[in-house]
Amino acid sequence: MLVRFWGTRGSLPVAPTAGTIRRKIAEALVAANGKSFADADEAERFITAELGFAQGATYGGATPCVELEAGGSYFICDMGSGLRPFGLDSIRRNGEGHRKTYNFFLSHLHWDHIMGFPFFAPAFDPTATIRIHSAHPDAEDALRRQQEEISFPVPFDWLRADIEFIQLDPGEPYEIDGVRVETARQQHSHVSYGYRFTDRDGRTAVYSTDSEHKPDNMEDEAAFIDFFRQADLVICDTMYSLADSVSMKEDWGHSSNLVAIDLCHEAQAKSLALFHHEPTYEDKDIQRMHEESIRYEELTRNGPPLEVICAYDGLEVRV
Amino acid sequence: MEYSIDHHADAIIVRVEGRVDESSWEAFGAALSEAIGQARDAGIGDLVIDLASLDYMSSRGLRALTVAKRQADGEEIRIWLASPNEVMREILAISRYDKLFTITETVEVKR
Repeated sequence: MLVRFWGTRGSLPVAPTAGTIRRKIAEALVAANGKSFADADEAERFITAELGFAQGATYGGATPCVELEAGGSYFICDMGSGLRPFGLDSIRRNGEGHRKTYNFFLSHLHWDHIMGFPFFAPAFDPTATIRIHSAHPDAEDALRRQQEEISFPVPFDWLRADIEFIQLDPGEPYEIDGVRVETARQQHSHVSYGYRFTDRDGRTAVYSTDSEHKPDNMEDEAAFIDFFRQADLVICDTMYSLADSVSMKEDWGHSSNLVAIDLCHEAQAKSLALFHHEPTYEDKDIQRMHEESIRYEELTRNGPPLEVICAYDGLEVRV
Repeated sequence: MEYSIDHHADAIIVRVEGRVDESSWEAFGAALSEAIGQARDAGIGDLVIDLASLDYMSSRGLRALTVAKRQADGEEIRIWLASPNEVMREILAISRYDKLFTITETVEVKR
């Protein structure tokens, strides 16, 4: 199973400013310290070897959209702004013979998780099949509403693809195009749902974003430990520090890196991808959060190590 | 995890030994609640959690501290975290809990 991240930022899309880019370039030039490069490839090798991720790249700024290559059709979690580049890339792959069936799985209906659909080019293809899976009964209402004239110039009814809304029941397993899919209820405004995907080879990825784990509900976390059990990859909302999540950001519907690591430790998951990054964080802030998460995992490990990776737009993880 | 609760003239001291993790956070939370009740009944305004013998605390333990702080705030009792080892200092920093709680070097606290 290949997991490809198209959008990893929470709340709203962000982009680096000209000043931020200039600063990165300046710091890279200082780090090169007069070294000359034969070509761009050699310069990129220097960046990879000598610069940190925040200095030499970016975590990106598109809102949630995660693709799983797990069967013959497309599997996509959420429709954030990252859906637009995915849609364009899928058109290229369709031209190479990929089946034009898109299976979407919506965590919830907040705008950062559905804002990409009006820009999803395959939705205008009458030969495409789009199945939108959601545990919310009002998923279609949410998507239609964001394309009403007051908000967007192209109405939902102009989309030409074969679009079907399929409601899922939490706790029930489904077999969808060769992938076993389970969903679990999470705490978030208007409720959110996590998804567990298992392919024919038994590889498992869990998508659990926009899920708050409150201090007075810790006894309910056994359900998440079971949902994450021995997963090859768990993608978790790690938007806030633990302190922020229990104080000024309490009831905002998000979680922290420490809780995600502890749940994954207890579930004996193999890898954790930090996800749904705070939009006010610059790349150096996210890198710091990643480094601290790795350190916390080391300090509290009481079994096999958990690989802690930090999702960024464009990341591919094979599990 | 083991704990003890001692009364001093001006503070209740909760000494914690071992680890506070998924297997012991509930007992830890119950101990803190018991200590807060004792502080309230004795008219004592400070509760010191002595971490000198604590190996580490996971997010369950930290969130149990938050629950205790809410109870203590309602009783106008202040919670202090005393003598954390190097691992706990790192965890308190990584979690940013060093911004939520006052950390002291010893159990002797002065307001």
